[in-house]
Amino acid sequence: MPQHDLLVEAATVAENLALLDSSAPFLEPPAARRSRVRRIAGTFAMDLGEPDAPVADLPVGTRQRIEIAGALAADPGILILDEPTAVLSPDETASLFASLRRRADSGHAVVLITHRLTEVFEAADRLTLLSRGKTVKSCLVSQTTAGEIGGLLLGAAEKAEGETERRTEDLRLGGGRPAAAEKGLQVLSVESVVPAGTSAPPASFSLEEGDLLVLLAIDGNGADTLARCVAGLHPFSGRIGILGRPLPAAGAPRAFRAAGGRFVPADRRAEGLVAPLSLEENLALPTPPGRLFLDRAAMARLAGERLRQHGIRAESPASAAATLSGGNQQKLVLARELDDRFGPPRLMVAIHPTRGLDLSAAAAVRDRIEETRRAGTAVLVASSDPEEAGLLGGTHRVVYRGALSDPLPPETSLPALGRRMAGLES
Amino acid sequence: MTGAARRRAILGGAIAAGTLVLLAALVLVAGASPGEALAALVGGSVGSGAALGETLTRATSLVLCAAGAVLALRAGVLNIGLDGQFLMGAAAAAAVGPLFDAAPYAARLALLLAAAAAGALFAAPAVWLSERRGVPPVLSTILLNLVAAAAVTWLVRGPLQDRAADYPQSRPLSAEVRLRPLAPGVRTTAAFPVALLLAAGSGVFLSRTKAGLKIRAAGASPAAARAIGLADAPLRAGALLGSAAFAGLAGGLEVAAVTGRLFDPFGTGVGYLGIAAALLGGTGAGGATAAALFFAALGAGSSALQRDTGVPAAVATIVPGLLVLAVLLVRRRLSGGEA
Amino acid sequence: MSGFLEIALLLSAPLLLTAAGELVLERAGSIQIGAEGTMLIGAFAAFAAGLGTESPSVALAAGLAGGLAGGAAFAAVAVAGRADPILVGTAWNLVAFGGTAFGYRLLAGATGAVLEVPRLPAGALGLPPAVWAVFALPFLVHAGLRTTRPGLRLVAAGEHPELLRAQGLSVVAVRTGAALFSGAAAGLAGALLVVTVSPTFVEGMTAGRGFLALALVVFARWKPLRLLPASLLIGAAGALQVRLQASGGPSVPYALFVALPALLALFALAVTPGRGGAPKALGAPAP
Repeated sequence: MPQHDLLVEAATVAENLALLDSSAPFLEPPAARRSRVRRIAGTFAMDLGEPDAPVADLPVGTRQRIEIAGALAADPGILILDEPTAVLSPDETASLFASLRRRADSGHAVVLITHRLTEVFEAADRLTLLSRGKTVKSCLVSQTTAGEIGGLLLGAAEKAEGETERRTEDLRLGGGRPAAAEKGLQVLSVESVVPAGTSAPPASFSLEEGDLLVLLAIDGNGADTLARCVAGLHPFSGRIGILGRPLPAAGAPRAFRAAGGRFVPADRRAEGLVAPLSLEENLALPTPPGRLFLDRAAMARLAGERLRQHGIRAESPASAAATLSGGNQQKLVLARELDDRFGPPRLMVAIHPTRGLDLSAAAAVRDRIEETRRAGTAVLVASSDPEEAGLLGGTHRVVYRGALSDPLPPETSLPALGRRMAGLES
Repeated sequence: MTGAARRRAILGGAIAAGTLVLLAALVLVAGASPGEALAALVGGSVGSGAALGETLTRATSLVLCAAGAVLALRAGVLNIGLDGQFLMGAAAAAAVGPLFDAAPYAARLALLLAAAAAGALFAAPAVWLSERRGVPPVLSTILLNLVAAAAVTWLVRGPLQDRAADYPQSRPLSAEVRLRPLAPGVRTTAAFPVALLLAAGSGVFLSRTKAGLKIRAAGASPAAARAIGLADAPLRAGALLGSAAFAGLAGGLEVAAVTGRLFDPFGTGVGYLGIAAALLGGTGAGGATAAALFFAALGAGSSALQRDTGVPAAVATIVPGLLVLAVLLVRRRLSGGEA
Repeated sequence: MSGFLEIALLLSAPLLLTAAGELVLERAGSIQIGAEGTMLIGAFAAFAAGLGTESPSVALAAGLAGGLAGGAAFAAVAVAGRADPILVGTAWNLVAFGGTAFGYRLLAGATGAVLEVPRLPAGALGLPPAVWAVFALPFLVHAGLRTTRPGLRLVAAGEHPELLRAQGLSVVAVRTGAALFSGAAAGLAGALLVVTVSPTFVEGMTAGRGFLALALVVFARWKPLRLLPASLLIGAAGALQVRLQASGGPSVPYALFVALPALLALFALAVTPGRGGAPKALGAPAP
């Protein structure tokens, strides 16, 4: 998402383009800078806004265009574009690809990083598919099809073709545990919610006790953001209600918790745990035992119990949370979140809960989630891994560019899922 | 000892050794011998009852300011406004003290409470600006320090002025209200043990109370604290106000125990020295207190140094500054929370 | 030139110079609250050099050199070393106050006799050319930031340093340059104090001017041209005070003039929505 654009917000369009132009002269009057803007806008047929407008006031799409135009204007031998079309309109995308084609034809190299397969097959000559850091396939675009790439995008496809076919057949959705069958109390209602700072279409869904909903999306398509809105960590417009209590639109993690919500973040080191504090202290938060002074004995008992219950291996409860392995850290987060000293968890929101974990830790985490679901907690998971989703079970919806699909039928195959996540089908 | 702890110990040793070398160099430049200088420093700080008393008297406000700095640092906030908060505390004590000629205990309680409250109140605008306007607290508190210095200047020539005195100062506290020395011939009063107790108390607060744990969490990882459901902004604000109250109290004790009145200029940048002590002490209450005592000893010893050997007393300011620079050079960015 | 205007300009110049240097540094993303210390070092260096050579120009050069050294030390620890600049500035003030007091005592002995350094000779309209040059500085900084490539990069370093890194440029280099400039400016300003306003050195003679410069930068919303009227007003207030004192009126101490801009700066911060124009990456370590 272009919230991370490389522009100076407080400066004008003209100043930003001057900054991006490595051949700019030492001294340049404002008039020359303005004419640069007009020249570049003309060359690449892009609307870059008024030269003297502060970039901060411009919409996200214009800012993205300015960044791209600045890169193009520098006339580089090799141009690398990382998800350039995220906020471009179809016309602008076509215009951009026309410029890129001209560059390529005149002998310059262009590398496009994207997960939109339509773009790859429209614009590129060769493709290289990376999955989990490894090259899965590298070939000319003319030698493959969108379907094949869509399937490869998601599976581990290092084995021979025959084996690959068998694996994708095994991993159908719903291959985990069945979701709750009876209708229960509505725990979460999401109505026409648009996360702030995005142009996603409004999302609506609801969860009842014991429901498990997995939002499947390739990173950057908005599943994480939606989940964070529900957890009160991202402002939104629309209505989110937990057990009937509306969540403040500006984001309120404490209101989320007060309503019985629990959150397992994607980044356990930055948001899940307070790394320098001890295991005991982490487990005791946010409501440590004691009145004024910490009841250290109770904390020690609690820590001992939780470490045992969740199979967390650590040197001692007093060691810092930072010293645990990734799997144990995630177990610690769950141990803290599933704490029922002050009432059972009613809603759990988890983002990429088993990412980066070894098989046994991942299984342990999934078991916990299933356990709490059976006890009546509604569970919302955001994930980019169909395997993880398949093993978790429940209902699956794909999120593409912020738009929620309908619940997917349980017999959806992996390649079909890949195409949905890549936006090739809807 | 773990590798990291061993590295820190070696570093600490190297810095200590470097300090001695530097001190010796300064002494030699001033034309004295390191031997005499050391004798004067030690003699002037701990060599006699009077010297020790001098050290402990100076240590009182340093220990409190250092403890205040630690409290804020553990919450992830750098309270650079300690000096201004100290001054406002002193001003409050100088204003309230003379009102109670008759009831000494009530007077002391009132003026010390007023001093702590004045310090905390003086930090409130910075908290507001930070929460409501996103203004970095370091900016607003630096500006407030300027305002505090000016306020002192105005107060001793205006509302608090002692008409009977020949240079601008506030009306003095009566002898009954002022804290009495613990022993004849020394300036040390009950203020020193009180300061030690409060510093220890702040350490206990941080490590053993619920609020302390929450503050440490908010300082160590504001993002995690927020996601876990802690009210991290109020926690930081509370720590900053508490830290300011410590500085204000230090100012009040300086008036009540040492000077008996406010004058201009007051205090010699003790707020900044307190921050330096907190840094050197590794942002723990114990280490900060030890560093503060060391600075106080250096200050007391340096007047004897100047008197006996001619080496300027300014070494007591140079050494802490260079020590902190050395620590900063080696320790990279100081993270909030656990050090 | 009337005595009042002359004094007002003389009083404003050191303040304006330090503020301009500090503004450049803050626009680059760092902050040196030890400007007070650097000014003192410049003043002391000018004092020592002036005593030795009897030449006010050499004194000015010494002040500049002292300030450059201060800027280099700051850059080493706070920019390249990525330590918290506020902490570095705090420590620096201690070193500078102590160091200059130490040096002064050694030079002047314990006698307390007042040693004087010759003043800068007056040039056009009764003021030394160096002083006039100071008043041109805000315009130069303004033009530099807006029309030159290094100026643009400096602004980027303070607003969005990652952008410079993405281009393969060094944020540390940009901020180091800014630190050297601001150090030189503060050192020169301290030297100016010695050779124009007060012909001798006194411990702590900067009397908060360095901190006042910080307030001025905030009050000017980090825009160089606004430094001019602000510093001139303070200079005028100082000249007024001198006049009042000379005519036997009440003596209003300098510290009060220091408070007014600080209060105004706080007020400005309170009423402006957003961060009041502070550079986005102010105080953040260089990526």
